[in-house]
Amino acid sequence: MNAPGKTAPLLAFENVWRSYGGGDTQVHALSGVSFGIERGTFTAVTGPSGSGKSTTMNILGALDVPSRGIYRFMGSDAGRLDNASRAELRNRHIGFVFQGYNLLPRTTALENVELPLIYRGLPPPARHAMAEKALEQVGLEGRRHHTPAALSGGQQQRVAIARALVSEPTLLVADEPTGNLDTERSREIMALLTALNRERGLTIVMVTHEADIAAFASRQISFHDGRIAFDSDAGAAV
Amino acid sequence: MFLESVRLALRSIARNKMRSLLTLLGVIIGVAAVIALLTIGGGAREQIRAEMAGQGSRLIFAFAGMVRDPASPAEIKVQPLTNEHLMNLDKSIGQHATIAAQAETRLRVSYGARGLSAQIRGVSESYFTLREWTLKRGRLLSPLEVASHAGTCVIGSKVAKALFGTENPIGARIRIGHPHCRVVGELAPKGASFSGDQDTLALIPLGLFQIRISGRNELAQILINAPSEALVAPLKVRVAEEMRRLRRIAPGRNDDFQVDDMAEYMRQAGSIIGNVTAILGAIAAISLLVGGIGIMNIMLVSVTERTREIGIRMAIGARQRDILVQFLTEASVLSLLGGLIGIGLGLAIAWVVTAFMNVSFVPNLTAVSAIAAVSAMIGIVFGFFPALRGARLDPIDALRHE
Ligand SMILES: Nc1ncnc2c1ncn2[C@@H]1O[C@H](COP(=O)(O)OP(=O)(O)O)[C@@H](O)[C@H]1O
Ligand SMILES: [Mg+2]
Repeated sequence: MNAPGKTAPLLAFENVWRSYGGGDTQVHALSGVSFGIERGTFTAVTGPSGSGKSTTMNILGALDVPSRGIYRFMGSDAGRLDNASRAELRNRHIGFVFQGYNLLPRTTALENVELPLIYRGLPPPARHAMAEKALEQVGLEGRRHHTPAALSGGQQQRVAIARALVSEPTLLVADEPTGNLDTERSREIMALLTALNRERGLTIVMVTHEADIAAFASRQISFHDGRIAFDSDAGAAV
Repeated sequence: MFLESVRLALRSIARNKMRSLLTLLGVIIGVAAVIALLTIGGGAREQIRAEMAGQGSRLIFAFAGMVRDPASPAEIKVQPLTNEHLMNLDKSIGQHATIAAQAETRLRVSYGARGLSAQIRGVSESYFTLREWTLKRGRLLSPLEVASHAGTCVIGSKVAKALFGTENPIGARIRIGHPHCRVVGELAPKGASFSGDQDTLALIPLGLFQIRISGRNELAQILINAPSEALVAPLKVRVAEEMRRLRRIAPGRNDDFQVDDMAEYMRQAGSIIGNVTAILGAIAAISLLVGGIGIMNIMLVSVTERTREIGIRMAIGARQRDILVQFLTEASVLSLLGGLIGIGLGLAIAWVVTAFMNVSFVPNLTAVSAIAAVSAMIGIVFGFFPALRGARLDPIDALRHE
């Protein structure tokens, strides 16, 4: 799938199917999807509602596994890992950003950002230091003791990005990160993501249904009915 | 990680103070009941031991028993003990043991306009040597007074209080029914005990009682003090044989009297306490079970309410067992909290009740720590199913949960 001499991609879908239910009522959310993602790239995933974007992101983030086919992440078959190993993979290598922010309510920004480090077993002083740094990177050092209820949508999403960054992930998975934000706030979030991609070489895969948001990415993959309908970097796809 | 779970658990409980407290009611009541019962029961046992030490476990009691006439079984006849029995018993076994007797009735005791109904006990000469007496003031009846049917008496603390208030009763002439008697001693308060109220009491010479009050030479009880505990059993047999002879009971017929000893009373009292403790303990166990089910219920609610939180935690790397540990910790911290509140409440109840019963307050530290451990266990046992349910959630479904 790769041109000879090129290093292996960070991750690859190889003829991935994801089916729900069985028999007559079986639904295929993904029907034989293949693509690779190189390290340090910024990919936008687009497509109509129900086309399989979120299903793809869940498998990419090791929250879900393919029904058929292979999901290779950093060389290993992530679809065959057990629950605990996938949890560790998410903890060490993947950062999630969701449309609805998904911060813990009644919990301060700092504590929300520390959360992934707790499951890594880091002692509190180290956690605090790393979380403070991540909040600084998203420009929220002044809001560390605010709970989500006291933060605007754009600020909450930046806390969520800080939480995704704090574990220094290899891959950032963002499912409609600007879906709940106005144009101005969306541009700020996109500026932040672009900077992370450019300056830190963070690999980002982002779902969006807005063309101007997708334009921030260097590659576009479009889904239709559980299949890839368009890939701007077709050379990398199988 | 575990400390983190405890911190989380405390925070979650603090967020739902009222709900947590209501949930814990079952555990609190169960634990409080167990602790109160164990503490009160322990105090009561301690009291029995103290009473045995004070009254002597070597005492044997003989008193009239009830016999049914085979001809008319509905009729119950009681053939009372008399002075004759006392004299004869003294003659036959008096060289081996101290023998005394008492006769009793309830009568009004008065001094001027004041009066109250009290237990009037006529006692024989050696009565006062059978057990320890603590006087507040004055003295006990002398052997000469008893022998001469003198008009003197020793009164209990409640009688003294009712008739004289705080004044000194010694030397005063009071009336016991009709006859007068001069107070020579006031007993120290004893409080209620397993032998009943010991303070609303007046002790007078047996002869005075029989001549001026009852008009009969009957006795309520003959008391025999064995010289050693080992001799209690053989002496009981001797007393019974002697009584059968004195009362001319044909071989094969049942005794029309009863011979008991103090140790047996104490055993009986102990076993009653044991039974009561067991029954109430079972009730306490049921309320602990109900408490456990309450915890299971609230943990199911908590897991459902926090489904999205579980999804978020899983997405950022929590393993199933991290979620399991989190909710198990929350359940056991919750029930341990209930246990601790229950222990506090139970000890407070026991403290009040033992003070009221005039029994010593001796918290059983082993039981207290065992109960604390049991209540934490209740959380783990009843919290397991809800915690497992949370841990087994699919992260994607959990994240979608509203
Ligand atoms: N848990 C599920 N059970 C059944 N069908 C599902 C489930 N999740 C997703 N689907 C179906 O899979 C398809 C793709 O869903 P999704 O990946 O969420 O689409 P998108 O994110 O592009 O809108 C849809 O038809 C959806 O109904
Ligand atoms: Mg979607």
